[in-house]
Amino acid sequence: MTSRIEILNAGGYRSDGRRQFELRTIEIDFSPHGSNSDGSATISHGLTQVSVSVFGPREAKMRSQTFHDRANINIELNIAPFSAGERRKRGRGDKRVLELVQTLKSTFEPVIQMSLYPRSQIDIYVQVLQQDGGLLQACINATTLALANAGIPLFDLVCAVTGGVHSTSPLLDLTQLEENDLPNVTIAVMPRSGKMALVSMETRLHVDRFEEIFRLAGEASTVIHGEIKRAVKETTANLVDAMQPGKSSAGTNAENEY
Amino acid sequence: MALVSVSKAEKSYIQAGILASPAHRLDGRSLHDFRSIALETGVAPLANGSARLKIGRNPQDGSGGTEVLAAVKLEVENVEGGTGGVDGGRIVCSVSCSPSAYPNISSGALDDLQHDYTDVINQTLSHPSLHPANLGILPRKKSWLLNLDIVVLADAGNIYDALFMSARAALWDTKVPRTRSIEYKARKSGPSAKDKDMVGGSGDMDVDQDTVSGFDTRHTSGAIDFELPDYWDEGEILDGRNRWPLCVSLNLIPPAHFLDATLQEEASASIRVLLMFSFASPGQPTLQGMRMLGPGELSMASLKALIKEGGKYANEMHSALTSKLRDEDLRRNQKAREKFALGNLWVYIKCASNPVLKIITQLARNGLYGRASMEYRIC
Amino acid sequence: MSDFKMIAFTSFPQYQETFKTPVFEEDGDEMDLDENGFLESDELKLAWPGESLTSAQAYMRGHGTYVDNDEVIASVAGVVERVNKLITVRPVRTRYNPEVGDLVVGRITEVQARRWKVEANSRQEAVLMLSSVNLPGGVQRRKLESDELQMRMFFEEGDLLVAEVQAFFGDGTMSLHTRSLSYGKLRNGQLITVPPNLVRRLKSHFISLPCGVDLILGLNGYIWISKHVKENEREGEEGFDAEAVYSNRNDNIDDSTRIAISRVANIISVLASYSVPLTDTILLEAYEWSVEQEGDPKDLLQDHVGETLVTTVTARG
Repeated sequence: MTSRIEILNAGGYRSDGRRQFELRTIEIDFSPHGSNSDGSATISHGLTQVSVSVFGPREAKMRSQTFHDRANINIELNIAPFSAGERRKRGRGDKRVLELVQTLKSTFEPVIQMSLYPRSQIDIYVQVLQQDGGLLQACINATTLALANAGIPLFDLVCAVTGGVHSTSPLLDLTQLEENDLPNVTIAVMPRSGKMALVSMETRLHVDRFEEIFRLAGEASTVIHGEIKRAVKETTANLVDAMQPGKSSAGTNAENEY
Repeated sequence: MALVSVSKAEKSYIQAGILASPAHRLDGRSLHDFRSIALETGVAPLANGSARLKIGRNPQDGSGGTEVLAAVKLEVENVEGGTGGVDGGRIVCSVSCSPSAYPNISSGALDDLQHDYTDVINQTLSHPSLHPANLGILPRKKSWLLNLDIVVLADAGNIYDALFMSARAALWDTKVPRTRSIEYKARKSGPSAKDKDMVGGSGDMDVDQDTVSGFDTRHTSGAIDFELPDYWDEGEILDGRNRWPLCVSLNLIPPAHFLDATLQEEASASIRVLLMFSFASPGQPTLQGMRMLGPGELSMASLKALIKEGGKYANEMHSALTSKLRDEDLRRNQKAREKFALGNLWVYIKCASNPVLKIITQLARNGLYGRASMEYRIC
Repeated sequence: MSDFKMIAFTSFPQYQETFKTPVFEEDGDEMDLDENGFLESDELKLAWPGESLTSAQAYMRGHGTYVDNDEVIASVAGVVERVNKLITVRPVRTRYNPEVGDLVVGRITEVQARRWKVEANSRQEAVLMLSSVNLPGGVQRRKLESDELQMRMFFEEGDLLVAEVQAFFGDGTMSLHTRSLSYGKLRNGQLITVPPNLVRRLKSHFISLPCGVDLILGLNGYIWISKHVKENEREGEEGFDAEAVYSNRNDNIDDSTRIAISRVANIISVLASYSVPLTDTILLEAYEWSVEQEGDPKDLLQDHVGETLVTTVTARG
C-alpha cells in the first residue's frame, strides 16, 4: 500500500510535508510519570512518544543480580498495544522487546558511571506510548534525559537519530511509513567525544550510501544534542532558582528553638 | 501482596482517623471526597478512541497520583473460519502495568496484578448486556473486534475506579468507521477490466451505493466485502456510550466506609468492595458486577446497605464524568475546526499533484496522520 | 450533602504549541571554555553531563565530575562548586547521599540475624545492628540470646524509625543507630516524603510547631509529622521504658491535632512541589498563613491556594 504514496515528491517534500533533512518537532517533558521515580522524561519526535522512569541507584530486588564493583543496570520496556497502526500486544518475552532492551543496555552501560554504585541497581523503565518511526532513537533520547534528571552520573548525554535513503537521496528522522520502505540506520553519538555509542541497521544499504547517511546522521545528532542539552539546562536552572537561599529564608533557622 | 509498606502505628493512625467523628484522613479529605481527577480524551492518535486519566495529580509539578491510559482499537474480523470472530462484533479488554507504576514488586507479581485487573475489566465490559449495536459489518461474515487496552502508568491507590473511568471515557470517545457493503455482479462482456481499472481501480467489484441491501434477502448473500466510503471521516459514535459501567470502590473500616483511598489507606482497610454500576438511563444505576478484596467478611445486611450507598456515589460519578466528557467533546471539536482550517489552507498552497498525498499531508498537518494512514490501509 | 461535591474533574495542562522544528543550525550558546573566568567569579554556574569545566592540570576533580583528556568534565546536571582547587558538581536532584551523623527516617524492610535492613532512600538499604539499639532493662546492658530471638518485638517489617547514621561498611552501606532517647520507633502520626535535597542540614531536625505538632526532618527526605510529645513523657519515668519505646499503639489524638497534622503534611507537599527548601521558619510561616485563611487542610491541594501559599512564604523570607 505504501507504493501509492510518494516518499519524496518532485518538489522535495516528504509525505508529511518535511524537507529531506528536516527533523520532526521534539517535545521534552520532565514531569514524573511513574510513582515516586527518581527521574523521568517523556520525549516526542513528531508522533513517536516514549516515556522513561528511572529508579535508583537503589537496593537490588534480587541479590543474585548485584556486582561487587559496579551497579547493575536493569531495563524493562513496555510497548502500549495501541501505540502503532496495527494493534499488537507484546509481552516481556517478546523478541522485539528483548532486542530493544539489549540494545539500550549496551548503549548505556558504557555511558553510566556504574563503578560509583557497587552492589546497587539502577532500574530504567521505558514505556512506549506512540510509534511513528524512530522508536529506538526516541527510547535512547528519553533514557538519556531521564538519567540526567535522576542525577545519575553520566560521561555524556547520548543522542540518537535515524537516517535512511530514498533511492539516492538521504533522509533524516524517518516516520513509520518511510521506515517500512527505506533502508535505514539508527546511530547514537556521545557528542563530547564524537564517539559512536550505537549503530543499528536492520536493512541492506549500499556502502557508499551508508557513508553519506552516517555523516549526515552524525550532524543531525548535534541538533538533537542541542535540544536535549537545552531541556536539561532549563530544568536545572529552574530547580536551582526555586531553591535559592536568597528566595527563601533558609539559613536563618538558628534562632528558632522550641 | 503488599504494594506499599505500612507500619502498625501508621495503620492504626489511619483507622482511628477514619472512625473519628468527624472523620479525618491523612490529606484532610472527608470520607467521601475524591482527589481531583484530570481527564483528557483523544490522546492516542492511532486509536479509534482514547483517554488519559489521573487521580490526585499534583497541580504544580504533575507528580503523584494514579495514572492510566486507555485506548480502543477496532479491527475487522472474519466471523467464519474459527478466528474467534462473533457475529455482531465482540469486545476484548486487557490491562497492562508499566513497571514504573509498581517499582517495588517482582515481575511475577506484576503479571498477577495485570491478570487481576484484566479479569475484572474484561468480565464487566464484555458482558452481553452492554454490547453495542454497531459492531457488525456484514452479517455472518465480518464484524469489528473492539480491543480496549489500558496501561497503568502509576498507582497511588483507587486503581479500579481509575480503570473503569478511563475505559468509559475511551469508549465514549470511540468512533466506528462507517462501512458500505460491496458485492460481485454478473458482468456482461462490455468494457474490459483494464478500462475499469482506469476508472475506479476497484476491479470486478462494484460499489453498492445504498446501504439498504440488508432488507433484500436476495442481496444480503451477495455482499461479500465492504469498503470505507470516506477515509477522512471520523465515523459514527459507538452505540451505548451512556451505558458503560463505572466502578465504586468502597474501602471498609467497619462501621465506616470511604472512597478514593490512597495506597496507605487501602492497606489499612480490612476489606474493599468493588461495585460496578452500568447506566441504562442517567440516574438509574444497575449493578453490573461486584468483587470483594481483602481478608475481611461482611454480613448480608451491611452489603445491601453498601450497594445502596454505592449506587448514590455511582450516580454522582456518572454525572460528573459525563459532563466532563461532553466538555472534552466540545474542546476537541473546536480544536479540530481550527486545525482543519489551517490544514486546508496549507494544502491549498502546496497543492500537491497526487490526490492521496494531498489528503495524507493535510491530515498530517491536522495531527491525524496516523489515523489516515491506518484507514487508508484498510481500504 | 447540599453544595458538597464528592467528585470533580479537571484537565491536564495543555502543551504549549511550539512550532519549532529543529533544522541544522550552529549551536550558538556553547559555554566558553575560559580557563579561569567562571570558576573565579561568584556567579552561579550550572553544568550538565559531558560539559567541559576546566583544565585538569590546574584543578582537581571532585564528586560529579570526571577527567578525560586533561579536562575536568561534569557528569551530572547541577551547580558547579569550587573549594580551592577542588571542583565538584552538586546534582540538583538525586537520591540521598548519607554522611556520618545525619539524622534519617527509615522503614524496616527485613529482619535478619542480629540486624535489621532499613530502607532510607539511599543507594543501598541501611543496616541497623541489634547492638545499635537500646534494649529493655537499661541502656548499657549487654545483648542476650533472648534478644536475638525476639527482634520483632523491637522492630518488625514496615516499622518506621528515626536514627542517626553511625558509620559506613566497607562496601559503602550505611549503618544506623538509635541509641538515644529521641531516636527509635515512630508513632502518633504520618509520613511524607520529599526530594532529599529540600531538607537542608539544620541545627536541629526535631521541630516542634506551636500547634501541637512535632516534625522530624530526615535528611533523606522522609519527614515524620506527629502529635507533640512532652519532653518528660518521651523519656519515661526510669529513663527508659522499653514497652513504651517499642510500642505500636498510638496515643489518643484529638481532632484539632489530627487536623493540624494534615495541614502540615499538605503544606509540605505543596512546598515540595514548588521545590522550596524546608526549614522551621518557612514551615511555621506557611502554617500560620494557612490557619489565617480559615480553610480546611484539603484546600491547600487546590492549585491557586498552593500557589498563593508559596508566593507568600517565599516573599516574606
